[in-house]
Amino acid sequence: MYKIWLILRSEFWRRVRSTTFIVATLLAPLLLIALMFAPALLGELGEESSEHTVAVVDHTGTLLDRLQDASGEASRLTFVAANPPTDSLRAAVLAGEYDGFVVLPTSLLTDDNETVTYYSTESSLGGPARLESRLEDAVRDAVLAAREVPDTIQALMEREVNVSPQVLSEEGEAGSGIILTFIGFGMAFLIYFAVFIYGQFVMQGVIQEKSNRVVEVVVSSVRPFELLMGKVLGVGAMGLTQMIVWVALAGAGMTFAGTLLALFVTPADLGVPTDASAQELMAAAGITMPSIPFSLVVWFLLFFVGGYLLYASLFAAVGSAVEQQQDAQNLMYPVFIPLVVPLMFVTFVVESPDSMLSLVLSLVPFFSPIIMPLRMTAAAVPVWQTLLAFGLLVGGFVFTIWVAARIYRIGIFMYGKTPSLTEVVKWATYR
Amino acid sequence: MAQLHVSDVAKTYGATTAVDHVSFSAAPGRILGLLGPNGAGKTSTIRMITHITRPDSGSVTYDGRPVGPWSQQRMGYLPEERGLYKRLKVKEQLVYLGTLKGLPRREASEKADYWLDRFDASDWGSMKTEELSKGMQQKIQFIATLLHDPSLLIFDEPFSGLDPINADLLRDIILDLRKDDRTILFASHRMEQVEQLCDDICLMARGEIVLRGALRDVKRQFGRNTVVVEFDGNDAFVDALVDADIVRVNTRTAHRAELTLTGNAPARRVLDAALSGVDELYRFERVEPPLSEIFVETVGEAEARRMQEQAVAAA
Repeated sequence: MYKIWLILRSEFWRRVRSTTFIVATLLAPLLLIALMFAPALLGELGEESSEHTVAVVDHTGTLLDRLQDASGEASRLTFVAANPPTDSLRAAVLAGEYDGFVVLPTSLLTDDNETVTYYSTESSLGGPARLESRLEDAVRDAVLAAREVPDTIQALMEREVNVSPQVLSEEGEAGSGIILTFIGFGMAFLIYFAVFIYGQFVMQGVIQEKSNRVVEVVVSSVRPFELLMGKVLGVGAMGLTQMIVWVALAGAGMTFAGTLLALFVTPADLGVPTDASAQELMAAAGITMPSIPFSLVVWFLLFFVGGYLLYASLFAAVGSAVEQQQDAQNLMYPVFIPLVVPLMFVTFVVESPDSMLSLVLSLVPFFSPIIMPLRMTAAAVPVWQTLLAFGLLVGGFVFTIWVAARIYRIGIFMYGKTPSLTEVVKWATYR
Repeated sequence: MAQLHVSDVAKTYGATTAVDHVSFSAAPGRILGLLGPNGAGKTSTIRMITHITRPDSGSVTYDGRPVGPWSQQRMGYLPEERGLYKRLKVKEQLVYLGTLKGLPRREASEKADYWLDRFDASDWGSMKTEELSKGMQQKIQFIATLLHDPSLLIFDEPFSGLDPINADLLRDIILDLRKDDRTILFASHRMEQVEQLCDDICLMARGEIVLRGALRDVKRQFGRNTVVVEFDGNDAFVDALVDADIVRVNTRTAHRAELTLTGNAPARRVLDAALSGVDELYRFERVEPPLSEIFVETVGEAEARRMQEQAVAAA
């Protein structure tokens, strides 16, 4: 045991003190945030550029006013009155004076099947769609007004109902639905990537030791099993450190989100008093922070560690069989496939977390590290199921470590031709 | 006295028998040379002595007990294929490998300083191992083998890849280590090195031991059937002797020939032939056969040639 500890410590320090590790640990969250906001930001930029001025030839005499009245709002369409002939309008659009033009015939208010054509130089779908919804509103309002429908009825027709989801669990905790599921997705992918990347680290380490030939020196001092475990645990300790830093950063981010928000937004912009608290600010900005149950965080870390041990030992076994990373491709499939399978079921598990299939997937050791934490965010999972899944996972990694150690002790001395999968499996049966 | 006993050890890998019921012993204060071509089973035998692999049958004992983690701590092993952690600093590397051998951290650090000093390498401590030249890395590896003051030392081809100066340094240290009553096992296919260093030899071929004993006794056993001739002039007489099946050529240059007498051929046939053929004769001597000749006689010409070719390829 002491030897394992010595190897663990050496492996851990060697990696953790490297600049690459420190930079990656601190930059990854920033990168993640950037990735999350990039689509929104790009969308914003796209919107700005699609500020449209539309020339309207209004034969109805009433729609243009209604369109113009509403155009002050969030829509990015500006309507300008124009006169025929359409030939000169066509020329004006091509000259860039307007972005496009429409002709609104009188029959638009009487004939339900009447259509309108929007002429413009660009073929974007966003423009016509927005124009359509604006025209629909205008036409509806005009028709209702013509029939002298009371304002109260009109207001009723515009009413909208918002549905906000809440999840109930046995402990009576009410997570905030969507965001919690979002976090579930995040955890599933984080565990997938973490297991995959840290597993690769272990494999690289094993390959390096083997191709450096230093492995023979080391195993003349310690048992191959001790070397394998020390390496797997050392890289695991590094991974856990990284995870804990990230979880802590995420926690801090959520706790201080209001304060952070205050740095970028002035209260007045959100229509709250200047002395508003961070919480009020958040509420005004429409951001609700989910309360993540502490037990979920703990289970997340436990399933990560279990999944890591299960896969990392297999990665080590693959590494021991080859001399170069490239040669590992074929042997990687049996390790890689069970790791990818649960990703295909992620959406299914979120949509029907209590189905039989979801239950089974969350209990199978090779899948549970990804599926179980996800299921726990999507539904109230009975404690016995979580415990059973974790127990099976522990059994799973004890088994894979045992198999890996048997392959490893033979593999590290095999040089030359890259072995086939059958040969590698056969090694496990050697005396 | 801590003796190493290898008793009736066998090891097979799949269909190939790497070591076929091998027995030998090594005593403290002596150097045992384990000789044989590549594939003779030297490294497989060593791996069982170092407890890296287990024998299929038979036993390896050191100091009266079966080898195991305990003996690994008292043993220094320099594998044929050298290897170190390239990214680690030299000192850190030595301390790490020392602690794996059971040394306390501080002691490992002190010993590393001592040995670095002895190898004129004190300045390297804070350098990354990959920054060192090949020869320097060899020294570091050698220090790592000795750091924990082992009483059993196993060197697998220790001189391969060393320049002559470092090879001399290494030989002196090995001879020093012998004085401290350590048991030293030295595997090589380079006959002349074994002849220079070893007290006992153990000749392996095809997984078996074909010859063993004290180097002196082995040589005596083969008698003085070797003739050295040094001369000036025409060396055609050598070809004539070979054609007449009187001698076999061990080594031959323009002015020197080392010949082995075949069967009971008298040595003076060589002298007669030389005197009548050459311009001047400087030396004619009957000597003990070199180890390489003994090897040829024991394992046969084909095996010996194969080994010579490997030696040339390795050099």
